[in-house]
Amino acid sequence: MSLAGRIALVTGAGTGIGQGVALMLAERGAKVALGYHSSDEGAKETRRRIEERGGEAMTVRANVARKAEIDAMAEEVARRFGGVDILVNNAALQLNFNFDHDDDAYDRQMNVNLKGYWQCMQAVIPYMKVKGFGRIVNISSVHGKRPTDFDTVYAMTKGGIKMLTRESAIELAKYGITVNAIEPGAIRVGRQGTKETKPFVPPELAERARAEKRDIRWKFPMGRVGLPSDVASLVCYIASEETEFMTGAAIRLDGGSMLL
Amino acid sequence: MRLRGKVVFITDADSVSGRALALRLAAEGASLLLNSASGGQEIEDELKRIRQSGAEALVVSADLRRSSETERMLESAAERLGAVDILVHNNDLVAPISVENGEESVFLEVMDANAKTAFVSAKAVGARMKAKQSGQIIFVSSIHAEKPTGCSFAYSAAKGAVKMLAREAAVVLGRHGIRVNAIEFGPAEGDDELFRSDISMLYDSYRYKVPNGVLGTHEDLAGLVLFLASDESRYLNGADIRMDGGFLMHYMDFKTKKPYEAGGSP
Repeated sequence: MSLAGRIALVTGAGTGIGQGVALMLAERGAKVALGYHSSDEGAKETRRRIEERGGEAMTVRANVARKAEIDAMAEEVARRFGGVDILVNNAALQLNFNFDHDDDAYDRQMNVNLKGYWQCMQAVIPYMKVKGFGRIVNISSVHGKRPTDFDTVYAMTKGGIKMLTRESAIELAKYGITVNAIEPGAIRVGRQGTKETKPFVPPELAERARAEKRDIRWKFPMGRVGLPSDVASLVCYIASEETEFMTGAAIRLDGGSMLL
Repeated sequence: MRLRGKVVFITDADSVSGRALALRLAAEGASLLLNSASGGQEIEDELKRIRQSGAEALVVSADLRRSSETERMLESAAERLGAVDILVHNNDLVAPISVENGEESVFLEVMDANAKTAFVSAKAVGARMKAKQSGQIIFVSSIHAEKPTGCSFAYSAAKGAVKMLAREAAVVLGRHGIRVNAIEFGPAEGDDELFRSDISMLYDSYRYKVPNGVLGTHEDLAGLVLFLASDESRYLNGADIRMDGGFLMHYMDFKTKKPYEAGGSP
């Protein structure tokens, strides 16, 4: 599946899942715009790695809680790259609170994770309409279905993203734009710049599994947590031309963990 | 009298569903705390009937999007009625808004009216229920927590958010003896107007997409709320109960009960 000639915008591309997604989109031939807010260094690092391998990338800063900054980001990408064909909504906050914070925390969480996803979509729709082609991938979470127990409003935003995805799927179908969501489970992120090739489980879980003489598959059926590259492969598939009939779907990507 | 001695807090008591809920729950012996934007004006008849029957009803007009105001209101209401035993979150605001052309102000209005009030009221009431280690929270939500509307994405996103709020609260507050459940209600008479869409044909002949061809009423809704509020449902927690007469089981409009003369399939 080549994505040669396609233009992708990935938000939150300086770290974790966003970085992994950007790298693989570039590997498949897409020009990739790396949206970032606080991870300036990470975005530059992602760009360097893409260019090293002969790919094309640009960095663009925007706070996705602010519509004006989102619109400016989309315009800049379109001007420099000639449009936006693929949007990967990935920039999100996870503030870790249940009912013990003030109303501002609620607003912050909602404004980035839900309003931000919508307004990033809104900003790129005109460019996708022109070409009659668009792929929007909303990175959500298994917590769009199952509660977190430690992050109430975060889970609310993910429940909202599920419906945002379904609504926009039926509304934008007439433009040849598909909208789908990926619901990853535990994904190993952090430690930037490392090669993520080894199967990995969190040390404390591995320790407990050892102590109780249990196979780690009791927690992670595939024997490991997910990697950004797992998410990236699915994004690349959804972004391809092969998936034009798939829209409004939410695909759980957790190695089977939620089935346990 | 299944709710004798219980204090029930109903939000948006001015709505059609709010009024039906107030009448039914008062008839079962509950004392009511009613949040009414009109300060009770739009529910004068209901208030009269409720008070004549000997039940207590306290009307308040708090902005449930604000924690501080909500806390203050609950504090002073508790002095009159005692602490809230059952919260029925019943706010429901639909306004047309498209993904492509929607205005941020409409998005925020719809999200806050449906989802933020749910969070703030659950948070404030939940904290008080925690002190007693008992309570029930019921979110009156919509079939649009699952099914897109084709006219108001902010509405369904808010209902999707409330669905997850109910599940979170079921776990977080569940450890303190508080049960939290959601009802996904619909369609009711007039919803074809409310959810008018040029994208979706969901509400075309909507009555006949209910297999039995009969729409639900807010009295039906009140019956389920009563069940969830009572001890009969003591093992129900974190559930979202779809109450739609089977409406969402339809596939397009095939094989409905619509009479042939009215344009139904032969």
